[in-house]
Amino acid sequence: MIVISIVLVLLAILGAPLFAVIATSAMIGFSKDDTDLMNMAIEILGIADLPFLTAIPLFTFAGYILSESDAPKRLVRMTGAMLGWMPGGLAVVSLAACAFFTAFTGASGVTIIALGALLYPALKQDGYPERFNLGLITASGSLGLLFAPSLPLILYGVIAEVSIDKLFLAGILPGILMIVMLSGWSLWVNRGNKKMIKKFSWAELRGAVRESVWELPLPFVVLGGIYSGFFAVSEAAAITALYVLIVEVGVLREIKIKELPGIIRSSMVLVGGILIILSVSLASTNYMISAGIPQMLLEFVASMVTSQTTFLLLLLVFLLVLGAILDIFSAIVLVVPLILPIAAGFDVHPVHLGIVFLAAMELGYLTPPVGLNLFISSYRFEKPIMEVYSATFPFLIILMLSVILIAFWPDLSLWLVPDS
Amino acid sequence: MPEYFRTMLARLEWFGKMVENVALVALLGGMMLLAVAQIVMREVFNSGVAWGGEVLKLMVLWLAMIAAIAASRDNRHIRVDAISHLLPETAIRISRVIVDVFAAVVCCVVAWQAWRYLQLEIEFEDTVVINTPAWLVHAIVPVGFAVTGYRFFVGAVRKAFGVESEVERGAVL
Repeated sequence: MIVISIVLVLLAILGAPLFAVIATSAMIGFSKDDTDLMNMAIEILGIADLPFLTAIPLFTFAGYILSESDAPKRLVRMTGAMLGWMPGGLAVVSLAACAFFTAFTGASGVTIIALGALLYPALKQDGYPERFNLGLITASGSLGLLFAPSLPLILYGVIAEVSIDKLFLAGILPGILMIVMLSGWSLWVNRGNKKMIKKFSWAELRGAVRESVWELPLPFVVLGGIYSGFFAVSEAAAITALYVLIVEVGVLREIKIKELPGIIRSSMVLVGGILIILSVSLASTNYMISAGIPQMLLEFVASMVTSQTTFLLLLLVFLLVLGAILDIFSAIVLVVPLILPIAAGFDVHPVHLGIVFLAAMELGYLTPPVGLNLFISSYRFEKPIMEVYSATFPFLIILMLSVILIAFWPDLSLWLVPDS
Repeated sequence: MPEYFRTMLARLEWFGKMVENVALVALLGGMMLLAVAQIVMREVFNSGVAWGGEVLKLMVLWLAMIAAIAASRDNRHIRVDAISHLLPETAIRISRVIVDVFAAVVCCVVAWQAWRYLQLEIEFEDTVVINTPAWLVHAIVPVGFAVTGYRFFVGAVRKAFGVESEVERGAVL
């Protein structure tokens, strides 16, 4: 048994597709229990029973359409017109625009590609040091993960069977905390830079509003609809996808119809990669639960730590390591079912756990050696990976502090959530 | 490899990719329209169709399987890939061949098990929405895994014989 596990881990490290590794471990578990392997099929079909799952392909598609259009340019102009007058203007603008964009596009690295290309030269022009810009853009690439309607939040809700609406509310303050802390750091670093102070201009704001008049209703419809309970998440996703498609292809004509199959394919390939892992891990999770593994883990953890504080500390360390190895989607699907009962044993609210989990995994995008954002930045801005590591490091530390705050201050997450 | 065989394979590749694209466009478009139609019917006409929700869920299943096939063609399945940037080119190539063969075998086993399950569904005449035979709808699972497995196998052969000129590194997402 141990030999097989080691071989599987080795295959995973060598780059075997994760779903194949998970499917194998589930089937080994089944055969050990003398369960018919046919159960694999039943478990895989289980993804057709999960609620809200339609939201994942639809939001992903909407995000891809938005990033292929000129929407990123308009978003940067809009945020600039609204926030550019603040001290450290463009840095704050970058953080806010990236967070907003990531929330809508699902944190798969497209933010750095789509927005970084606009912000990076603009920051340089405003006299920000190159190293700072590189770190800022890399760190901003996954910043909006805690804001609705980000895919990881939806996926956590599906897996943990927690109300997605509540997660959307819970993410707001922790997400803002991260942006504020990073903004503060940006201000401090650039306190000597006088060039960056700009005046607020009504004319510029009017121009920006006129330019993005078609996209402006989107956040209000989607977020307003979800937060007010008018739409379910999956319905909001369908409306967003259809609306974005009509606006960018039909009205603004920034995407040609013949480009659509390619965009649909590349967005759905990402979705397929996530959903197939989800489907096979339904099998491995069910096996682990029937084998009593979460219970064993809980007893094991309880024998080491006794208080909620030490548990959270242990959880954070674990999540940081996890985030450095696994991508956020696989981590949610694989690990959340195991740590939910343990967290419940230490009185950690499942909504709070979700926010801590995602916030900590957000760091994983920036953690060497395999953080996704580091590679994308290195590739996009043609910088050696070591330079990206060191430029991002201060931002990683700030984000780490914010994650610690989020973990040990549950009310920050739960304050906006009714009945918790 | 004889020339005609090669052309035939190339045509098969092209044809397969087209089928995937058409299916993905149709499924995503269908999901979008059906979901929006349901909201309109509910809010404007105060009605709706009972099977809408279930059909949407089955469409996600189909979308997931076909997208998984597409992901195996585009080599975009999620991998951990922690060490490939440390290894020399040949070592990466060898390890990629090994893991792709592994993935192909796993896919075939899952496809075979799903096929067996389908036989049961046929025997028991299970149905899903509006009396559609369940096996017809669920057939996408064995088919999807079988084709994905085939794609991994083709990928392994190509990597082994160096048809693919460059082996990608870093996180694949």
